[in-house]
Amino acid sequence: MASSEKPERTIQSHLEAAGVSRRDFLRLCSVIVATAPAGLALTKAGSAAEVASKIGKARRPSVIWLHFQDCTGCTETLLRTSAPDAAHLILDIISLDYHETLMAASGAQAETALRQAMDDNAGKYVLVVEGAIPTRDDGVYMELAGRPAVQVVKEVASKAAAVIAIGSCASWGGVPSADPNPTGAVGADTVISGKPIVNLPGCPPNPYTLLAVVLEYATMNRLPELDELRRPIFAYERVIHENCPRRAHFDAGRFAYAFGDEGHRQGWCLYKLGCKGPATRASCSTRHFNEIPGVWPIGIGAPCLGCTEKNVVWRMSTVETVPIHLATPPDEYPPIYSGTGSIKAGAALLVGAIAGAVGGASWVAAQRFRSSEEAGAERIAVDRAHLEKEAEAAKREAREWKKEEAAAAKEEAVEWKRED
Amino acid sequence: MNAITTSQFKAENRWERAVPVFGFPVVTHFFLFQLALALVAFVLTGYRELAGLGPVSGMTDAFGWGIWKTFNVMVLTALGSGAFAVGIAAWVFKREKLHALMRMALLTSFLAYACGLALLAIDVSRPWNFYWILFPWQWNMHSPLAEVAICMSVYAMIPLAIENLPPLLERLWYFDSRLRPGVEKIEKKLHSVFPYVIALAYLLPGMHQSSLGALMLLAGERVHPLWQTPFLPLLYIWAACFMSFGCVAGTTMLCCMVWKRAMDMEVLDEAARITCGLIYGWSALRLLDIAFREQFGTAFHFDRFAGVFWLEMLLILGGGYLLQRSLRTHEKDKMFLGYVLSTLGGMIYRFSPTTLAFRPNPQALYFPATIEVLVSLGFIALGIAGFLVAVKRFAILPAPLYEWHDMASYFRFRRPYIRWTGYFKYGFFGEDEKIENNSH
Amino acid sequence: MAITRRELITTIAKAGGTAAVAVTVGTETLQAETETTRIPSAAVGLLYDATICIGCKACVSACSEANDTPPDTRADGLHQAPSDLNDLTRNIIKLYKSPDGSQVSFVKRQCMHCLDPACAAGCPFQALHKDPESGIVFWYGNRCIGCRYCSITCPYHVPRFQWVGFDPVVTKCELCSKRLEKGLKPGCTSACPTGAVIFGPRPVLLMEAKRRIKENPGRYYKDKVYGETDNGGTQSLYLAKVPFDDLGLPELGEESVPAKTLRWQRRFYQYFAIPAVLYAGLVQVIRSNLTGYEEEAREREKQTGLRAQL
Repeated sequence: MASSEKPERTIQSHLEAAGVSRRDFLRLCSVIVATAPAGLALTKAGSAAEVASKIGKARRPSVIWLHFQDCTGCTETLLRTSAPDAAHLILDIISLDYHETLMAASGAQAETALRQAMDDNAGKYVLVVEGAIPTRDDGVYMELAGRPAVQVVKEVASKAAAVIAIGSCASWGGVPSADPNPTGAVGADTVISGKPIVNLPGCPPNPYTLLAVVLEYATMNRLPELDELRRPIFAYERVIHENCPRRAHFDAGRFAYAFGDEGHRQGWCLYKLGCKGPATRASCSTRHFNEIPGVWPIGIGAPCLGCTEKNVVWRMSTVETVPIHLATPPDEYPPIYSGTGSIKAGAALLVGAIAGAVGGASWVAAQRFRSSEEAGAERIAVDRAHLEKEAEAAKREAREWKKEEAAAAKEEAVEWKRED
Repeated sequence: MNAITTSQFKAENRWERAVPVFGFPVVTHFFLFQLALALVAFVLTGYRELAGLGPVSGMTDAFGWGIWKTFNVMVLTALGSGAFAVGIAAWVFKREKLHALMRMALLTSFLAYACGLALLAIDVSRPWNFYWILFPWQWNMHSPLAEVAICMSVYAMIPLAIENLPPLLERLWYFDSRLRPGVEKIEKKLHSVFPYVIALAYLLPGMHQSSLGALMLLAGERVHPLWQTPFLPLLYIWAACFMSFGCVAGTTMLCCMVWKRAMDMEVLDEAARITCGLIYGWSALRLLDIAFREQFGTAFHFDRFAGVFWLEMLLILGGGYLLQRSLRTHEKDKMFLGYVLSTLGGMIYRFSPTTLAFRPNPQALYFPATIEVLVSLGFIALGIAGFLVAVKRFAILPAPLYEWHDMASYFRFRRPYIRWTGYFKYGFFGEDEKIENNSH
Repeated sequence: MAITRRELITTIAKAGGTAAVAVTVGTETLQAETETTRIPSAAVGLLYDATICIGCKACVSACSEANDTPPDTRADGLHQAPSDLNDLTRNIIKLYKSPDGSQVSFVKRQCMHCLDPACAAGCPFQALHKDPESGIVFWYGNRCIGCRYCSITCPYHVPRFQWVGFDPVVTKCELCSKRLEKGLKPGCTSACPTGAVIFGPRPVLLMEAKRRIKENPGRYYKDKVYGETDNGGTQSLYLAKVPFDDLGLPELGEESVPAKTLRWQRRFYQYFAIPAVLYAGLVQVIRSNLTGYEEEAREREKQTGLRAQL
């Protein structure tokens, strides 16, 4: 697909030359508007016709596409559109100057093609990176024409205007970076620096997202607004859960609990089966795959794996439920008055025991009052008598002791007298 | 068995003096059990402070007040209004005989208020902000709860504490002759401010016991109409009066029976007469008020509110009736039961508007949690333990004069090694004390 | 000197009666000022029309977000499903169904910002305080002692207490005052898709409510705006087609709860006049009784030889 032509003509003139019907082109533009209804300067105008006129005036952007540790799925997603003309259309709009899967050349010719593409469009081409880049052991685990991937990507990026990392592998490492990551696979933005990078994670991501980003760059000469992970906000702002068609089932508490059970057959929410929708930012729930509505994982009853998120896919078990970070009200309403409180058995027993103890003690006390009426007075008299006896004894003792004291004192006085 | 025994009216059975309970050790199984309950309550209180109120109580959004504020504060302080009720009867209405019960009343009041305030401090969940009590401009004087909190704290810490000083000072006087000049100086100062302190001790409880009633006025319709009335403050303080009489007289009777003291039926009859009058007056006011508001029909619905209402009225009126009977026949058991029943009925009455008769929404139910009950119980047990110690170490329980002399002999002969109970040095038929009395 | 009951009563009546009467009469005119509910100068509020509300509960989510409160997922761990206002929920949508199922209405419950709030009237240290200008009732944590009296006195049962932890707070709607300062509207009104709840100055909202009633005869229950005079007037106004009592908004009459119930309490304690008079009387009586008592005690001392117990 590499053309030695320099892409100087506008897209409009090129499409006319290629014989693309205006209807097909407008159809593609309406898909782009649907892809990014907000968040892109390109689609701010709104209607497909306005978008078409903007695109038409632009020059065909030159795109160099490099493959690294990939499965080529991201390329396939670009090609496997259900309307075959759309794929051709895409390839007519952008000038794909180097693509190892699609180009006819190989070997030394391919090398030359790359060099040629780089030189012809230096500083203007968009570099699309597909696949992760191994970094361990000086990057020997993947080499392109004998040179480590790290080196190649740095070199090609050095002359690019912008870098788009398509797919989870290029965005943050993807499958090759799953534990134990033997090759040290990383995303493109770890290796490339100094160039604007857009990450389009997904396994694979939506091809129209790529197209929208590239066209935005080509027509408006700017990249869309990115979040802190360099993902375009128009496509990665919301989690799957927010726009999921099965959300009503989640809100109503209707879940599938096992594959093939009644809930699963009814198309209920797959959260309990481990759907990672609440934690995964992507646009799949609104834009399904292959342009066929319903063709996407949740749509066919497979819980979302969270393929865009580094911390989710290949890090969490597929059956592990993910916490809901922004809980929202369910499809139920509380009544005007809700019942609260209950009587706990233990406490009831305790209170009953205390009440019984108080009552019993009072009754027993009352009885003792009755019986002690007679005995009491006598008891007091008895005690008194005993004490009086002891008091008498004490008095006697005291008197005797005084007598002894007196006698002893007398003797002492006599002695003193004697000494004198 | 129920005949009048003349010994009860012998002059020697007249309560002439407060005498410490002697011959009974402080540390008994019952006392240790109370301390154990108190210890459990302390530990659970620590847990409550850390975990918050939800895990330790049955309180929910619907029932914001559990049993701590409503039982320990509202009910127990009513029982502890003895200083107020008995005091007013003795000092303002010149019921001379009731002076014998004053020390018991003061002690039970102090302990009841201490228990109530402790639980108020535990129940309140942001107690570190209580320092605003020192800034009067921040008080919300429209709020009955502010009035209760401030008044109760001031009352317990100042007038009630001061009124409880005399037994303490007396013991110090007997304990060591070196302390006597200091003690006598303090006592003289006390006597000079007594009228002001006592007047405050009657004004403040009057204010906060009625404000405890005003608390539930703000709840409006949510309190069942058999209880909710503009007269709620008056009914609350009136109930506090007869409840505290029951508590003081009943406790005195119980103590005399347990520790084998003579009971002065003249004093107890006087107390019973007053209590009876209070009960009948209160019941009349309550029933008339309900009739006036045309709510009497609700008392005949088959629901828990009617049940509680009739339980209260039966207990209170039944207690009053028993008291009246006991006045005629001089049966101590009836008198005691009368006090117990009327006090229980009064307790339920004061407890109801916040819990039993409170309907925040048609479905909500409240029942205290086990920890809540244990904490409440533990602090009551602490109060009881304190009472046991105080009654045996200070002269609180009234007794005839010979008890004093018997006590002196007891300490002289049976436990002469207990030197620190200075009581034993004096009172040996009053000889030595006469000498000391002549010295001042 | 023994004082008879008659003398006691006449003493108190003479010494205090005139003063007490004067004070009470004086307070009647002064009370008139404090008892009529004062409408704040810049009173703002909400107007909720239950006939427009679709029960989407966007206001519930928006309220949590605007107040930085985590959603209350304690019911099932998944959804923000509080069953009532609570320590994490300042605003809730409830559903009323009549027993026969014929009448259905949503109701949005949040603080009513009463003109004479019972919560503020009961709060011991004014932790709940009605802002004199905007009329919003704020909770100040530095004055709250956590007594939960507010949740008992509020006739709408709005203030909710936090039942776990050692530093519990009281939660209730404060009309997103932080957003108001920035010139935004409260979270709930900003999120409402149908305009069922709107924010504005209270007089404007009242006018709007009355206009709706006039232009839609028969649509609203008894053509009444709840909160115009109910409970002395509230700043959260309600329109509905089912009886307000069924929606949990009780019929409270035109007097506010504090004015109705605390009238005599307030009068009794006005300037502490009556308590002061009582105190003076008591001191007099006790002093005269004390001298007699002391004399008797001294006599008994001489007789028995035992130290007097006073």
